[in-house]
Amino acid sequence: MMRIVLTMKERTNPHIPIEAEKINPAFLMWGTDDLTVWEGNKERRLDEIFEVEVEGTATSVNEVEVVLRGDTSRVKRIGEYMDGGRITVEGNVGMHCGNFMAAGTIEVMGDAGGWFAREMQGGAIICHGDVGHYCAAGYRGEKKGMRGGKVEVFGNAGDFTAEHLFGGEVVVHGNCGDMPGVDMQGGYLTIHGDCSRPCGNMTKGKCTVLGCVSEMPPTFKKEGEVEGPDGLPLTHFTGDVANRGKGNLLVRHYQYLE
Amino acid sequence: MIHEDMICPFCGCLCDDLVIETKGTEVVRVDNACTLGSHKLMNAGKHRLKGPIMRDSGQWRDASYEEAIEYAAGILLDADRPLLYGWSSTQGEAQGTGVSMAELLGGVIDSTTSVCHGPSILAIQEVGHPGCTLGQVKNRADLIVYWGCNPTEAHPRHMSRYTTYADGYFLENAFRDRKLILVDVRKTETASIADEFVQVKPGGDYAVLSALRAIVRGREDVVPPTVAGVTKEQLLRVAALCKEAKFGALFFGVGLTMSPGKYKNVRNAIELVDELNRHTKFTLTPLRGHYNVYGSNEVFTWMTGYPYAVDFSRQIAFYNPGETTAVDLMARKECDAALIVASDPGAHFPKKCLEHLASIPTVLIDPMHTMTTPLVKCQIPTAVTGMDAPGTAYRMDGVPIHVKKFLDLGYPTDTEIIGKIFEKVKEVRHP
Amino acid sequence: MSELLVKNAYVIDPINHIDGEVMDIAVKDGYIVEDVGPKATVLDAEGCLTLPGGVDSHTHVCGTKVNFGRYMSPEDMRAGREVRRGVKHATSGYSVPTTYANSYRYALMGYTTLLEGAMAPLEARHTHEEFSATPLQDMMANTLFDGNWAVMKAVAEGDIERVAAIVGWTLSAVKGFGIKLTNPGGTEAWGYGKDISCIKDEVPHFGVTPAEIIEAMIQACEMLRLPHSVHLHCNNLGTPGNYACTIGTFNLVPDLNKTRQSLYATHVQFHSYGGSDWKTFCSKAEPVAYTVNNLPQIVIDMGQVMFGKTTTMTADGPMEFNLYRLHHNKWSNHDVELETGSGIIPVLYRKKNLVNSIMWSIGLELALLVKDPWRCLLTTDNPNGAPFVKYPEIIALLMSKKYRDAEFATVNRRTESRVILPALEREMDWNEIAVMTRAGQAKALGITGIGKGHLGIGAEADIAVYPLKVGEIDPAQEYQKIIDGFSKTRWTVKRGRPVARDGEILVHGENTTIWVDPKISPEHDMSHDPEFTEMFNHWYSVRMSNYPVQDEYLKRNLRIETEATI
Repeated sequence: MMRIVLTMKERTNPHIPIEAEKINPAFLMWGTDDLTVWEGNKERRLDEIFEVEVEGTATSVNEVEVVLRGDTSRVKRIGEYMDGGRITVEGNVGMHCGNFMAAGTIEVMGDAGGWFAREMQGGAIICHGDVGHYCAAGYRGEKKGMRGGKVEVFGNAGDFTAEHLFGGEVVVHGNCGDMPGVDMQGGYLTIHGDCSRPCGNMTKGKCTVLGCVSEMPPTFKKEGEVEGPDGLPLTHFTGDVANRGKGNLLVRHYQYLE
Repeated sequence: MIHEDMICPFCGCLCDDLVIETKGTEVVRVDNACTLGSHKLMNAGKHRLKGPIMRDSGQWRDASYEEAIEYAAGILLDADRPLLYGWSSTQGEAQGTGVSMAELLGGVIDSTTSVCHGPSILAIQEVGHPGCTLGQVKNRADLIVYWGCNPTEAHPRHMSRYTTYADGYFLENAFRDRKLILVDVRKTETASIADEFVQVKPGGDYAVLSALRAIVRGREDVVPPTVAGVTKEQLLRVAALCKEAKFGALFFGVGLTMSPGKYKNVRNAIELVDELNRHTKFTLTPLRGHYNVYGSNEVFTWMTGYPYAVDFSRQIAFYNPGETTAVDLMARKECDAALIVASDPGAHFPKKCLEHLASIPTVLIDPMHTMTTPLVKCQIPTAVTGMDAPGTAYRMDGVPIHVKKFLDLGYPTDTEIIGKIFEKVKEVRHP
Repeated sequence: MSELLVKNAYVIDPINHIDGEVMDIAVKDGYIVEDVGPKATVLDAEGCLTLPGGVDSHTHVCGTKVNFGRYMSPEDMRAGREVRRGVKHATSGYSVPTTYANSYRYALMGYTTLLEGAMAPLEARHTHEEFSATPLQDMMANTLFDGNWAVMKAVAEGDIERVAAIVGWTLSAVKGFGIKLTNPGGTEAWGYGKDISCIKDEVPHFGVTPAEIIEAMIQACEMLRLPHSVHLHCNNLGTPGNYACTIGTFNLVPDLNKTRQSLYATHVQFHSYGGSDWKTFCSKAEPVAYTVNNLPQIVIDMGQVMFGKTTTMTADGPMEFNLYRLHHNKWSNHDVELETGSGIIPVLYRKKNLVNSIMWSIGLELALLVKDPWRCLLTTDNPNGAPFVKYPEIIALLMSKKYRDAEFATVNRRTESRVILPALEREMDWNEIAVMTRAGQAKALGITGIGKGHLGIGAEADIAVYPLKVGEIDPAQEYQKIIDGFSKTRWTVKRGRPVARDGEILVHGENTTIWVDPKISPEHDMSHDPEFTEMFNHWYSVRMSNYPVQDEYLKRNLRIETEATI
């Protein structure tokens, strides 16, 4: 096993974002000397920004564990294109954590910024705190968003969670903001708390809301009552009828904007 | 002197039939313009800053153009995340120079689009844009829909030049033959002449658009009796009007783009129009505000690939509104220097953003004292395009128009000033 | 004064009948000359294949529609990202790249002259702005007249001189190069959501047919003595069975010009379809090519489809809406008042898809069945059939039966019964490729006289040196070397200056815009014609005085003045 601990150093201007897609087991396992990150428009050596401690060696990416410490709330793109191994962020993490990840595990103990697990393909990503907008969403203009893997959020998620979802599973234990699952085309989205306007324009896939839906979209067809997890009674809708949709939306409580 | 067929540098209508009479550097008469355009043009030479000003320990003092240009280049070069913002009320040529400079600096360049019709662009990027030039609407449309906008107030000549009151080649009696639907959260003046006024509860646009789509598809069975304050009967009437029209044209404003759901509202409107095209001809056009905001999108796009919010910090173009947009950069205190060109964030941005703006070195290029002036360290006055400078602008429908000059006040143009700053930047950072 | 000597060049220059001669090319001040002094910069071609700079006679790279394709496709932008370095700007985009990306990629492939295939006159200023940001190629703009009200009214009145006068005035006003007709009459019909199915349908409200528009425009083009012929995108693009319409259109065309064709029919692949619906869809390249072979007054370009993602964009609005209904992806449409229309949708051509596989075959069949390479030019209708970066693969397919067979084995299996491609043995030689990619294109555009498409004394010094040793490669077998060689020149020389070397861009450059200004007698000057000016000021949304493109929009430019017969 190889364990790499990256501890954020003090910075003169802590607001400048850092882009650090090299913080990925696939790069780190081969040594940290040549790796760089971008602080604003300046390219910096990894060790200018982080204290780097490496223990052990690895022969495959799956034997690598990366731990991030300190104020990493402005560090973006951690674990981008990750294809194995493990990353643990002890505090908060910046935007685009786990974008395009295909395998491995990312665990964030604090909060995560926007576009958490954008266009994810596989693997598992967990956030114990809250996540920003566009969790498990897609990229501007791209039809298909997340395609595989599992995203689990224990806190609340922002707006447009799982937008354009195409495959994989997204679970939010807290509440979601506005329009979760909008334009979703496949996959599973489960929201344990409340949200507003879920699944507008959905064509396929399944979304379950165990809390209360406000401003329920008016263009879903009510199919009847079904039994949900723990025997909870849920109302089953199909739609979005505005778009020939064949998606399934199951909700515990709902109200329309009349 | 009488200047004919002049172009109004106020809103995205870019009316090009103005007659302006000048005596020396005074404008004495403006014909054909609306009250907004007239007001701007009648005061063409007035309230201008005489020359650059800089702040020394809190106090303004006069500065030379050279000193101000030197200062601007210096703060941009020193920054790790410079922001170049504004660009919607200036020449296309200046916008192009700005993009090249942002690229070399490794900065972020954004236009006022991000606080008006940015959501329209995001929607178009998801589903496309069934549009046309405004003359097409004028000559053909027998149904006009204004959604979340008040053209009477914000684009006063839109109705007379392009829609309700305009002559149409294929319409015998254009005013009588054209129907008008108005959708808004409040009853505005335009409602009095509308054939249908649809009053939507705030935040309910998305739901109403979804319901209309379902009805047009023949699925009225799922639609509840009222949707966001609109009765099903009215929705059915509106859908029928749309399907029966030979040519429908939907225009929308910030009432749709800036209400909850933002770009999803616009996407829903576009998909309604797509659906209607299976039955008849229907088009959609965002009512753009600043006269050349669309030009900034065009110039940015052919140079960088993206219409606004372009981040060059890694020497490639990266685009992600919400992350690379000016408001978001300021709210997160990311930018550490800013160049503001031809726009007034001081009047429009949230307080949190302005506090950050005031805390970093910032240069404003603007002819007049504005709400942004108190927030900056240096201001450079320039000629106003469409008054004392010519240039290119793009109308809200994409038609490029050569904006003309009718005054000579001796100010340098935006292109010249930004070009000089760029020269200074190039002396330090070689391409 | 700058002097350059390209030494030991293995030259193929079809226009000057040079087919593989090792020679030196002397360049002075941007032009090819007999000799240069001893101080000239020397580029040693070391016997590599040296051709005149490439010419693309039909591509979409600049203007309102192209830029809208970019604007609506951030996902395409991230597919072609390169960093800013030296003189080279950052680039974005694959099928609809930025102007710089287009310019660099064409330059790396040895292309120095491009014809933008479709410019709406009302939006011409936009095209010219983008030309200024396309630094490494000389640019021309075909100007759209397919739904021009004034033209259609003059056609209805049978007044061909008036047609010519309107076209002449418009070309001068918008700094256009030639006449483009895209689905003539169809774009006007699309103004009310209708289309035209073929040349005998009447255009609603105007009482003319596409056939009448095409015939009148061909005559008007000759009256104006334009360098290029009418450039036609036939009616009924992309529909099964449309080949009959295409052949019917070709049979309308008289032979009116001794030096070039009288009609240039573009992207004919999209117009050579058999069958009565998508289920019976098949290739009709054979009868179309047969017609072309019998009509020397016609030149076509392939409009080859290559597999992969791209963006379709054309002035043919109704066709794009039909495509949207098939693909149900994003769709943009932009009708232009009194003139034309346009539409854009992204597409993915897949080998698994039967229709796509047949389309791919048809383009190649046309090129192989049209006997004279001067009359079937290599294009993809960039980016409609594929982005132009696919040209080297198309060259290799035309030069190697083995490569075609290898590719054919990977497409939809049912393709075989619908096409004749596997039966075609022809393998093109180097000279034919040189014709199809530059000499033939320059001749068809009528620009050999201004020094394009050849390397004779006095020609513009636009030269492409490819890292290909003709004697040492067997194109029929070593097709990968052909693809690699044509993808990246050793040198691209533009107006006497090396602009690209081994995949690197060397200079920022400045292009020349080539436009045509027909000299028309005062009695045919439309700027004073009461009916014309009234139409303008009544029905256009801009004033007539604000319509012409001002001179300042053309930086470097070459104005070709013609002596019109009216």
